[in-house]
Amino acid sequence: MPEAPRARIPRPATDNGAAGGRAGGAEAAGPDGVQVKPGGHREATLYSALAGAGAGDGRSLAELRAQALRAYESLELPVWRRSGFWTTSLQKLELGSLRREPDAAPALPEIVERTLPARPRAGRIVQSANAIVQLELDPDLRERGVILCSLKDAFREHPDLVAPWYSKRLTVDRHKLEAANAAFWSAGAFLYVPPEVVVSDPFEVVYAIDARGIAQYGRTLVLGGQASEFRLHEYDLGEDFEGQALHAGAVEVYLQDGARCRFAQVQDWGAGEVFDVSTRLVDVGRDAYCHWLPALLGGHLVRQHLELAVSEPGGEMAFRGLFFTEELEHLDVFAVDLHETGPSEGDVHWRGAATGQSRASFEGLIQINPGAQRTHTYLQIHSMMLSPKARVDAIPSVLVSADDVSASHGGTVGELDEAAIFYMQSRGLDRPAAVRVIVEGFFEPLIAELEDEPLQELVRGKIARKLAAAREDIEAYATSR
Amino acid sequence: MADLEIRDLHVCTDGHEILRGVDLSVSRGQIHALMGPNGSGKSTLASTLMGHPAYEITQGSISFMGEDITSAEPHERAKAGLFLAFQYPVAIPGVSVANFLRMAINAKREEPIGVKEFRAQLAHAVDLLDVDRSFTSRHLNDGFSGGEKKRAEILQMAMLLPDVAVLDETDSGLDIDALRTVAEGVQRLHDEQGLGVLIITHYQRILHHVKPDFVHILLDGRIVLEGGVEVVERLEREGYDRIRQEFGAGEAGAVAAGDPGA
Repeated sequence: MPEAPRARIPRPATDNGAAGGRAGGAEAAGPDGVQVKPGGHREATLYSALAGAGAGDGRSLAELRAQALRAYESLELPVWRRSGFWTTSLQKLELGSLRREPDAAPALPEIVERTLPARPRAGRIVQSANAIVQLELDPDLRERGVILCSLKDAFREHPDLVAPWYSKRLTVDRHKLEAANAAFWSAGAFLYVPPEVVVSDPFEVVYAIDARGIAQYGRTLVLGGQASEFRLHEYDLGEDFEGQALHAGAVEVYLQDGARCRFAQVQDWGAGEVFDVSTRLVDVGRDAYCHWLPALLGGHLVRQHLELAVSEPGGEMAFRGLFFTEELEHLDVFAVDLHETGPSEGDVHWRGAATGQSRASFEGLIQINPGAQRTHTYLQIHSMMLSPKARVDAIPSVLVSADDVSASHGGTVGELDEAAIFYMQSRGLDRPAAVRVIVEGFFEPLIAELEDEPLQELVRGKIARKLAAAREDIEAYATSR
Repeated sequence: MADLEIRDLHVCTDGHEILRGVDLSVSRGQIHALMGPNGSGKSTLASTLMGHPAYEITQGSISFMGEDITSAEPHERAKAGLFLAFQYPVAIPGVSVANFLRMAINAKREEPIGVKEFRAQLAHAVDLLDVDRSFTSRHLNDGFSGGEKKRAEILQMAMLLPDVAVLDETDSGLDIDALRTVAEGVQRLHDEQGLGVLIITHYQRILHHVKPDFVHILLDGRIVLEGGVEVVERLEREGYDRIRQEFGAGEAGAVAAGDPGA
């Protein structure tokens, strides 16, 4: 149901204020629009949209790094809390014992070769730990002005193209790991698709961690020129290892007038104790379109701030996502459907499942800013519990500051349908096969939307493997009900 | 011994005894009709035959193709060649009819079915059931009308080629055209493939399209009357009430005519 307009004025995009302004812990909106409240023993950051409060305002990269470094040094590891629902705490991360230096002779991690489908592609850039280990770009596309390189090289070789967009909508100091990312990133990825250039094969941006003890800082900047069309596939992959590692990531994608982008992400950090705290933002310009689908399929503790902002009239977006947590994993997704101007269209649809003793928390926010009239948007979140000790929480929220809009949300929480299982068994499928059909069917509407066979097979395969691994757990749950 | 042999079957659900000693035999090539009023235990029998976990067999046995399947898992019964067409088919969102059929066929085979062979079988079954080809790309039973669900059941039966099929009130909720299509499909599978059929129904009308060799009347958990099509005619004349008066509850299962399964 649409809610009554509330008075909440987002801050202008350019004013970022002083670094670490909220670190003292006063209960107030910090200068960058982030609110904190004093907790019992520790502060917790509230869930709020970036809403354009980026740090990039014409200052140099060095100045932004310096601001981030000051914040990094003054802040403690973050804790996010939704009272009564969940707490996402990074306190167990031993940040001091992780190394961020690139390896001496970095090689393409095996996990990348093993996971990425063999298929035609427009280009690929792979960052392992903190070094680029593979970079390819279709020569024909290079000829036509497409740029794919490390962000570090992009700052050197294309400063005028990169500087105005870098961190334009991303903050650098909301929390310690964001600050660490902004201060320490050393490789990163930069993709530029010039105006009118249409590319059908995907650009692959890969972040891989193949050993314990690594703090990886990922930084991706993507510019889609006017009326460009392209596919972006991000992979976040970890080898199965014992011990801690960190991925702190920041992705910003800017789609200019009429640009169209399909952005899919497959994240699976493997069985290691990998912490992933990342922010991803897609800015949809005038009459531009983005179909964005993160598939969050594994990580010890994952915190994702995902924001899809329609910033110019006529922008349209489909914000999809799926997640599957297992064992002791903890996932915290904050997905923002932000409309800064109207008319605009939004459609948010997420699906998630949990097995083992895993914990998945999803907060979906529809935010419609003042003046974003004639905006229509809908948010739905469906979840499925597959184990007695798994837990999925889903909180949709709506923040509307315009009156000629429609914004609504819905959702379901489900368990396995025993009638459906019996039905399939009666056709000869054994119980695990029937469970697999149900869970795959649950995710299928979103998987189908990937519209990319190799990627679909990859996601289906990962879901099937998780189900097979949780077979006994799922069985025990069914018989206990 | 008949292909499907039910002996002295007693079944409880939620602490109530629903079936109280049912004997019934169905073999390949035979068409049986099991009729009875609401609450007589028809659907309980259908679900129990397929191994539904909510129904507990407290006495008696079920054997199929010479094997005791009294406590077999549902999928084992299906693989052995038993089929149940559901009264209320369940929606399987996200799975197309064709994909589901392929999975079900492969569950019975060592090697997955070839693409060409599958397509040919599917085309044949689609013609038999008089459904649109696009039907098979829709998600199974998801948003189907009552008639479409029943056609989908028979379509699955035609693809899986069981030895014996139990049709649980397949006629309910069908308009006359759909009923005729479904009934003709069943009859053809019987005539061409030697399918054994147990039609479970409340009404007589499907029996105008599929001719049963044997008719059984189930009342209060027991078969009280058995015979040929003349039993249907008698039921049409007299209704269940008269039969109930004659063979009322508490009576031992009286057998009026013959022993059809033998």
